[in-house]
Amino acid sequence: MKEAKGYILEANRITDYLISVPLQEQEQNNYVSAMCQFDFQLTKYEKRLLSNMLKSKWKMACIDGGLAIKDPGNIVRRKIFTMLAILEASPSYTRYFLSRDFSVFYYAKLGIIGVRAIFRALVGVIIIRNIRSKCS
Amino acid sequence: MQLSYDYIVVGSGATGAIAAKTLVDKGMQVGLLDIGEEDGEYKQVIPDSDFRTIRKNDKNQHSYFLGNKFEGIPWETTRVGSQLTPPRSFLTRFSEKLLPFESDSFQPMESTAKGGLGGGWGLGCYVFSKLELEALGLSEPDMLQSYQEVASYIGLSGAKDDGSPYCLRDLKEVQPATKIEENLNGIFEAYKSRRNKLNKKNIFLGRSGLALLTKDLNGRSAVKYNDMGFWSDANKSAYRSWITIEELEKKRNFIYHPKCLVTKFGEQENEIKVYVRRTDTNEEQVFRCKKLILSPGVLGTARIVLRSFDYKKEKLPLICNPYSYIPCLQWRRLGKKIEQCKTSFAQLLLFVDENKNNFDVSMAALFSYRSLMLFKLIKETPLNFADARIIMQFLHSSFTIAGIHHPDKGSDSKHITIKKDESSFTGDVLTGEYVLSDDEIQVNLARERKIRKALRTLGCFPLKTIRTPIGGSIHYGGTLPFNEKGELFSISKSGRLGGTKNVFVADGSGFKYLPAKGLTLTLMANANRVAKNVLNDE
Repeated sequence: MKEAKGYILEANRITDYLISVPLQEQEQNNYVSAMCQFDFQLTKYEKRLLSNMLKSKWKMACIDGGLAIKDPGNIVRRKIFTMLAILEASPSYTRYFLSRDFSVFYYAKLGIIGVRAIFRALVGVIIIRNIRSKCS
Repeated sequence: MQLSYDYIVVGSGATGAIAAKTLVDKGMQVGLLDIGEEDGEYKQVIPDSDFRTIRKNDKNQHSYFLGNKFEGIPWETTRVGSQLTPPRSFLTRFSEKLLPFESDSFQPMESTAKGGLGGGWGLGCYVFSKLELEALGLSEPDMLQSYQEVASYIGLSGAKDDGSPYCLRDLKEVQPATKIEENLNGIFEAYKSRRNKLNKKNIFLGRSGLALLTKDLNGRSAVKYNDMGFWSDANKSAYRSWITIEELEKKRNFIYHPKCLVTKFGEQENEIKVYVRRTDTNEEQVFRCKKLILSPGVLGTARIVLRSFDYKKEKLPLICNPYSYIPCLQWRRLGKKIEQCKTSFAQLLLFVDENKNNFDVSMAALFSYRSLMLFKLIKETPLNFADARIIMQFLHSSFTIAGIHHPDKGSDSKHITIKKDESSFTGDVLTGEYVLSDDEIQVNLARERKIRKALRTLGCFPLKTIRTPIGGSIHYGGTLPFNEKGELFSISKSGRLGGTKNVFVADGSGFKYLPAKGLTLTLMANANRVAKNVLNDE
């Protein structure tokens, strides 16, 4: 029961980070089922990473970006990836994944997003290093 | 239960199905022994609709797109079999248990399903050239008739263009090619305007020959362009071997025996005993027949033959096409909506024929990426998932995948062996070693460079080359190479197994060379040819 509550909190925070919209009950339940199925065993370091990520979506973006460079196979990232897959396979959120026609001005937005992603990754690397040093 | 037949066929994959059909059509009494796993989970829940409509409306889509146990959310690095979607995962469900294989250098994929690996076939069809068939150990006149018979039965679609000499050649009754999708059409148009320049470099591009109907045939429907080809076979427009088995099951002179793992055979004066281990009860069973046709796939046949000849040979040779793929971005399609109606299968083929003799040709099959879901592409980016999602949604329509097969021939460093292992289901385990020589690696790398260059000329920017583990092409051959001396562990051209009178092999075990082109049509044509030889052997 306690675990399920934790997973629900994770699901909502991760969704807010990924697509900035509220999560519906079915996708929430799917995330809980997936976590129970995968039964990840987190190390002390990974638990710290996760609790830091859940504090704010800005921090989650940085830690996710840092891990994408330093440790892309980390279990914490796999949790985000699982939520991403669940959202894509849901009619409520499919518009965030299906292709559509973009205007030419979108190139500028993509440039900003690219720069932001690099900045987030650099900050993330520093945060991860701090968390790791506290755990060792 | 009937345990005695005139003819027993082992395996229901592409070769077993065609061999059995050839015999049944001639009125013979045929029993087919097979493990025969079926999909009991997903078939009923996938709607008969197009991908985009399903994505927008079906609340239950997560069950088949991600899998009931979320097995469709891959995390590990590229492994053989990871390309199978959850509704196709039954193809290999019990392979590890029933067909164990150990190796650090070779990761084969084998199927225990009704219809075999044909259930996940990409549908590409090729009539091999005279030189290719000779290198395999076959003669062109023998094969051409069988190619035509199989093609007329399964139904092929394709076009006459620069790819035809490498693809369907002069086959008759070919249905019109599928409607080309916008992404690949951009590449095709670019080729047409740069044709002379590319042809001078021995590069040719053409439409694929596919076992996909564009007109109704034999109770099967023309393709509906619903882009669900990796998930469902709803209207049977794609040929699958299980379709043949289901047709045969309606005939009185055919009996399908599922849950039967054939372990070995023993030949006596007028009879062959076929030893079976039942996969449901673990019991041993003995079937009897006058003629036995082995077609459980190259590795399956090797296991049966090695056991039947009391493990008299330690090593059998093995060949397998190395496979890599290159995700590319086609700039013309950046930020565009993908059309609603399309097929998932490769629609263009790029050939590099350095010697202009249709031999030792390199080949890339081009297909666009949509119905395998965006999240798998997002995972490959070195960015945080939220930003990667936005960028990849924009790039989605421009993604083109070039799947490259390389030809292969035998060498001392490519072989399989069998060893005793009491803990395994059959008491033994197959092991393998497959190491490409430095020369082979260099040749393959040079070919990949040439293909990347050609793709750039066509407006496709290659991102990176991903090499799958050896075995990933799922094309195997050469374990019992063709020879006419009748030696043990070889096959005669007629298909007869050396050292036997009435045992034939209808799969690719005899092939001494594997062209880069897909094998399946040739395997089926060879199975048809062998089955006819069996009939003529009375």
